[in-house]
Formats: sequence, structure tokens, C-alpha cells
Amino acid sequence: MSKFLFGRYLPLNSIVHRLDPRNKLLLSFCYIILVFLANNWLSYLILIAFTLGAIRASTIPLRIFVRGIRPLIWLILFTVALQLLFSPTGGHVYFHWTFINVTQYGVVNAGYIFIRFLLIITMSTLLTLSTQPLDIATGLASLMKPLRWVRVPVDTLAMMLSIALRFVPTLMDEAQKIMNAQRARGVDFGEGGLIKQAKALLPLMVPLFISAFNRAEDLSIAMEARGYQDSEHRSQYRILTWQRRDTVTWLIFALGLALILICRRW
Amino acid sequence: MSELKTMARTQLPKLDTLSMVTMGLLMALQLVISRFSVGNQFLKFSFTFLIVALLAKWFGPWWGMLTAALVDIVGTLMTGGPYFVGFTLSAIIGSLIYALFLYRKPVKWWRIIVAQLLIMVIVNIMLNSLWLVIMYHTPIWGILPVRLLKQAITTPIQIVLIYGLLKAPVIQTIEGRLHRTTSQS
Repeated sequence: MSKFLFGRYLPLNSIVHRLDPRNKLLLSFCYIILVFLANNWLSYLILIAFTLGAIRASTIPLRIFVRGIRPLIWLILFTVALQLLFSPTGGHVYFHWTFINVTQYGVVNAGYIFIRFLLIITMSTLLTLSTQPLDIATGLASLMKPLRWVRVPVDTLAMMLSIALRFVPTLMDEAQKIMNAQRARGVDFGEGGLIKQAKALLPLMVPLFISAFNRAEDLSIAMEARGYQDSEHRSQYRILTWQRRDTVTWLIFALGLALILICRRW
Repeated sequence: MSELKTMARTQLPKLDTLSMVTMGLLMALQLVISRFSVGNQFLKFSFTFLIVALLAKWFGPWWGMLTAALVDIVGTLMTGGPYFVGFTLSAIIGSLIYALFLYRKPVKWWRIIVAQLLIMVIVNIMLNSLWLVIMYHTPIWGILPVRLLKQAITTPIQIVLIYGLLKAPVIQTIEGRLHRTTSQS
């Protein structure tokens, strides 16, 4: 079960894998803005080229991305279909029936949205596949640092996050064990109507809560025994370093941004 | 509204180690539970709202909102889903609504019902539809009926489950243990 959440990371040693996690987080965030900026076929073509380049640099096989898109395929198809059927009138009308219009404008737009979906999902999948969860957490904590100025307890949150990530696989195994134990006693998970399914989860949830809380108690006592008092006033063992290749990625990003801005005008 | 004012005035309460670690584990639990969903292919929902409500009830609006934001960001990033700031905002507002109705208050049916209805209307119907429209240009009248239908089915279930959870003897025992250690330190 823990495969679902953390097995997505692919331990390869490509240049993308070795990038600073902070950099990758920022880049994938800014990439979404880039996708929103694109508005014609040429700009989408540029984006596709950059995305394929990033995938190539990561040496992750393409079929793994296809697998990542599969769970979202219904949302994508649903959106594209809606866009096709209910688009405002514009351009050549291919088909018309009461309030359903399939127009040239609709077809083109549906195509753009499809590509937009694919691009955003591919890039975020690339981030997950090429970055270890703990690195994502460290990167995130470091990116949140400026929030200290508005008195957000960044260090405490970073501590909570690293505890949370450490215990996800443990609790996942625990959940699996409890489920099997309850199955052995005759509980059917995932059978029957909605209410019945929800009810069947109670014998899973309650023991899971107790077990999580007991672990929390033990862990907090052990932490205090080792001299933990508060989240500030501590030093750091995991240190991220910004390297030249991180700067280079931003040069490439700037190039992409410039190209897309030119295309928008064009 | 008066609750909002007192909340703005209060500082973020200083945490003891147990509360902090408990929050961390509840966040882990939320990430785990988001993987288990109930329903069929037409209607699926997970039980993460239970943890959000619990965090809000035990630790108040500030910590509730912070942890909700963090779990949303990390959860999306780790599963490789497309990240969008709007959904983080939705998570924050949902947690705030729970905290305003549940934090330091007795568990009552009406509180849970009003909180859940507010979340349904503000977060699930208004905001989340807005995000989908902004992000994917989905026509609003296409998705709204489907979303309304889903909410109409899930909200009553959510209300019953939250009441059941917060009234569960186990949860109240744990809450007692949490408060005992906080008052000691």
C-alpha cells in the first residue's frame, strides 16, 4: 500500500534528479504560470518541446508518465467533452441540436485544454518522480522561511511535516494490518452501498486513531528525553546547496518565458 | 463574527511537544486516509475531512489552517497531481470553518450541521468549482449540477460521521490526555 504514496519516486541519477529540490518546486510552480500564459498553437508547441526536453533530461521512460495520467483521464475527458458540447458560438458550426453546439472554436479550445491538462500533470509527475519525499519536505520548509516575517511558526511546521512524512509508511502498514485483522473477523471493506461501506471503515479508523496517538505519546517523550525543547534554537543537519545547474535551469526557463511572450503578441 | 475577532487577537498558542507530535501524526494519518476512498466509480469520497475537523477541534483555527495548507500542498505534490493555490485556500477555509464551530465548544448536532453546510456551500460548491473553471476553463454550468448532486449525497454522511467521531469515547479519552499534559506544563 505504501507504494501508492511513496513508490512513485524513481531512483535514477539524472541531472534532473540532482537538482536542488527548492529549485524544482519553484520551477514547477512557475511552469504552471507559463502554461496559463500560452494562448495559441505556437506557444503550446514551445511548451511541449520544453516539457519533452525536461523528460528526456530526467531519463525517466515516457510510459511511466502515461501511467500517472491514467487516474485523471475521466476528469480530462469530461472537461474536454463539456468544452466541445457547450462552447459559445464562434467559427464554423459543425453540429447543432437545441443547446448543444459543436463549433470550430469549441474544437480548438477543447484541444488546448487537453494539452494544458497533459502538460501540467506531466510536469508535476516529473517533480514527484525525480525528487525524494523527504527532499520535497526539506525544500518546502526552506521555501517557507520568509513567512517567519508574518509570524508563521515555520520551524515547528517543518518539524511536524518531517514527523508526518516519516510516519506515513508506518501508518500505512498499520492500516493494512488492521484491515486484514478486521477482515479475518468478517468485516467487508468496499462492499455494499455507500453507507455500509462508510460504516465498515469505523473498525479501521478507531484503532488507527488510537495507535497514532499512542505513537505520538511515545515519540514526544523520547524526543524530550533527547533534549528537544522547541523548534527554534536548533541547528540543521540536512543542508541544501544551490549549484550552477540550478541557475542554468532558470536561464532555460527565462528563454521559454520570452519565447511564449513573443508568441502571444504574434 | 465575534469568534473571528477573538481569534485575530489571540496569539498562536505555544505548543508542547506532545501536541506538536500529535499534529504531525494526524497529518500523516490524513495523507494515509486520503488513499482509502469509499464509493463506486461515479461517486467517490475519502475521509480526510474527519482529520481536518479533529485538528481544528483540538488545536484551534491557527494550527488547523496551517496544517490544512501544508497537508494540501504536500499531498498534491507527492501524488503527482497538478498543484493549484486555490485548492490550498479551500483547505484553509474549510479548516477555519470547522474551528470556528468546534474549537473549545461542546459537540452539538447543530454546530456540526451548520459547519458542514457552510463548507459545502462556500468551499465545495463555490470555491472548488471556481478553481476548476480558472484552471481548466471547464464550463461552469456543465460541472455544477454534478458537483451539487455529489455534495447533496456526501454532506449528510459527513455530518453523521463527524458527530460519531467527536462523540466517540476513544476520541474523548485522547482529548483528555492531550489537555492533561498541556495543563501540567
